[in-house]
Amino acid sequence: MARSTPTNTPIRNYAIGFFLSSLLLFSDISYGTFNPLRGFVNASTLYVHIISKDIFANIITTFSSFQKNRSLLQENKELNEKILQIRAKDFINRKDNEEKFEIIDFYKSDLSLLKNNNVDIFKIASIDLRNYFCCSTHRIFLQNNNNVSADKNVPVFAGESFVGQTKAKYLNFIEVILFSDTSHVLPIKSNFFYCDARGKGKPMLISCKLNKNNQDFKNQIGDAVYTSGLGGVFLKDIEIGFISSIASFSVNEIEVLITLKANPLEETFYGIMNEETDEI
Amino acid sequence: MKYSNHLIILSTIILGFWLDDSLNPLTIKLFLELNFGFLIFAYWIFAMPEKLHSAAALFYGLVADLIFSNAIGFNMLFFVATSYIIHLYVFRFRIFSYFQLSFFFSGSSTFYTACKYLLLSPYNYSYLVLIISFLINAVLWVGLYLIMRAFRRSIFSNL
Repeated sequence: MARSTPTNTPIRNYAIGFFLSSLLLFSDISYGTFNPLRGFVNASTLYVHIISKDIFANIITTFSSFQKNRSLLQENKELNEKILQIRAKDFINRKDNEEKFEIIDFYKSDLSLLKNNNVDIFKIASIDLRNYFCCSTHRIFLQNNNNVSADKNVPVFAGESFVGQTKAKYLNFIEVILFSDTSHVLPIKSNFFYCDARGKGKPMLISCKLNKNNQDFKNQIGDAVYTSGLGGVFLKDIEIGFISSIASFSVNEIEVLITLKANPLEETFYGIMNEETDEI
Repeated sequence: MKYSNHLIILSTIILGFWLDDSLNPLTIKLFLELNFGFLIFAYWIFAMPEKLHSAAALFYGLVADLIFSNAIGFNMLFFVATSYIIHLYVFRFRIFSYFQLSFFFSGSSTFYTACKYLLLSPYNYSYLVLIISFLINAVLWVGLYLIMRAFRRSIFSNL
């Protein structure tokens, strides 16, 4: 091999390849031209992953079918999942009831204003760990086996707080953009300020930039932060995290770093409020 | 070169990217970003420059982009550029020592990482990650080179 002279590929071919790939890269970064294609590939990969996992699980189940406690283990697993589902649903029902009572007290009447919350619970299919720990894009995929229609930009919650919004639907998967994604903006408030918090591109972190001369700002590290409800997408007054750092950002600005309450790595079930949900 | 050979090369590159995907969530906490996918591609071009040209680089890059990247065109661009540079200096590389080779390939992979952060994730750009990745990738390159050479000689003995 070493005796043969490498053939010289003309520079023209490299130049064409270079410009073609630059063009594709530019159009994808600037306009997201290939987002549907990438989503489809991701969903297909997830399918393959889930199917192979099922096959593997079936083989294991077959081998362990002689064990007496198999059915008990299965029942235990199902009950555990049920508890997690109920916990996730309970959170939003509780918040909804609080909102309802507040409004009843305020208006004293007109219960017809309120509609029932309709929450769909989904199991996580995958979290994009490749980007979650290093990069700006923080996404998860939820399994949508029943093919529930999920609109774009609908709030998604897990555990006892919101975690993000739906972004797109590919095959039987729902893509969710997390708050910590740098392209996500969330209207939040504390006792002393309102702001649009942007994802930091780091796990469970979002940040706000505030005017340094703001005399009202008296927050301290550890103070709770809530959704402001501005924008009409998220329910208001849901605790989403706490202030973990306050640092000078520029001559006129300070950066308030907020650590989120819900950790996507620890959650199995995610709730999505469908279109019948109140927007208070 | 046969299509089956291209498939073997592509499989090794995909395996490299899969390793990166699996290990990087753990190693990034130590400010280290591994680049096996890119290094394996660079190895193949370095080892068989007369068989792999711009079209192969473009195709491998496209597949890597489709499966592993956040932006179509990124790996295509870097694979084509790397392929061109290696083709240009292939005779010089033949007389390089392991140290010089690992310096060059690790430097290339660090440049790849830096551009990836600058283009796709500027908030997370970190010089510490680049420096540590450069040093570790330089060490890993030697091992990777020896493994890939043994693999190539066993698979492509007729080429």
